Amino acid sequence: MVRSQYLPTGLLVVLASVSAAPAFAHTGDGLSGGFIGGFGHPFFGLDHVAAMVAVGLWGAFLGPPAIWLLPIVFPLVMASGGVLGILGVPLPGVEIGIAASAIVLGLMVALAVRPPLAIAAVLVGAFAIFHGYSHGAELPPGADAVAFSVGFVVATGLLHLAGISFGLLARWPAGRIAVRAAGGAIALAGVVFLSAAV
Amino acid sequence: MSGFFRVGLAAAFLFRADPAFAHLPIEGVGGFYGGLLHPILVPAHTLSVVALGLFIGRQRERRIPSSIFAVALIAGLIAIARAVEAPVGNVMLANTALLGGLVAMAWAPPQPLGWLLAAVAGATLALDSPPQAITIAEANLMLAGTALGACLAVAIVSAITSYLTTAWQQIAVRVLGSWIAASAILVFAMSWR
Repeated sequence: MVRSQYLPTGLLVVLASVSAAPAFAHTGDGLSGGFIGGFGHPFFGLDHVAAMVAVGLWGAFLGPPAIWLLPIVFPLVMASGGVLGILGVPLPGVEIGIAASAIVLGLMVALAVRPPLAIAAVLVGAFAIFHGYSHGAELPPGADAVAFSVGFVVATGLLHLAGISFGLLARWPAGRIAVRAAGGAIALAGVVFLSAAV
Repeated sequence: MSGFFRVGLAAAFLFRADPAFAHLPIEGVGGFYGGLLHPILVPAHTLSVVALGLFIGRQRERRIPSSIFAVALIAGLIAIARAVEAPVGNVMLANTALLGGLVAMAWAPPQPLGWLLAAVAGATLALDSPPQAITIAEANLMLAGTALGACLAVAIVSAITSYLTTAWQQIAVRVLGSWIAASAILVFAMSWR
């Protein structure tokens, strides 16, 4: 009998096939699927990403205590908006509100607007409701609720952190220009989002 | 067997994905170690113990709430060993949201309220941990593991938190509390959908 040169490869393919786990329709099932699904959720919408980064940018631009207060306020208020979305409570103009958040927050950074902290917190909180509502309404019913929510909130926080990290460049003159330019770019992107929403 | 074949075989098994389970911490790990890992690897329980650990870690007096948590936990585990069933998932989430919110606000409530929150955390964690075992002996080992795992997790998180004293570290703790509260609120809402 002549031993085939393809035998090892064939055996490898058979073993790999036999050991493969079944694929499921709802990737949200289970801890890893739920967390990864939730973690990826905020990244799927550029409008969400732009607004989250703008929150961090503005917080860093305003300095303490806004730098940490806004990222603390945002998830809590966003969760309240998420509750409305999950329960199906009607909220008009959600997409417009999300696009407006990118425009307004981007402009705040671009124009270096420094309102009182309470006004900044209320503004960010108001937009957080729209973002939370949108995410809440889109939560897949088959997902592991806890893992999905944790992943989703952590991703949102990391986007804020990305904005804060970039916003810290505002300590230097050249960095300040770069941060304000980023704010302008976010505001322009918001205009595009708004034109798509209306 | 050629080197290429061995490497290929190893790679094939490395990339083999196992399905994840929602409530079993690790497939095939039962008894004491299954219980030990339960509070750490079940997401709702992890949120609860981390929230309580952060909360206790920010208090001046940490021994009383930690002890109350341990007593409530053990009482709950004894109850569940006697087949007492109580749907406490939402109570645990509400308690977690409250603890996370208090950490985010950096507000120390009156001590009795803190003790009550610790007691609720312990009791709900225990009552939401029915042992998935075939024999009574294994179930008891699993419950003992859950008690130790939960107490250790709270003690470790609170000890670490108590050492985080610089401004940035305290902000990080508050942000974490905010994330935990937001997650718990969302999950709580999802249970009403």
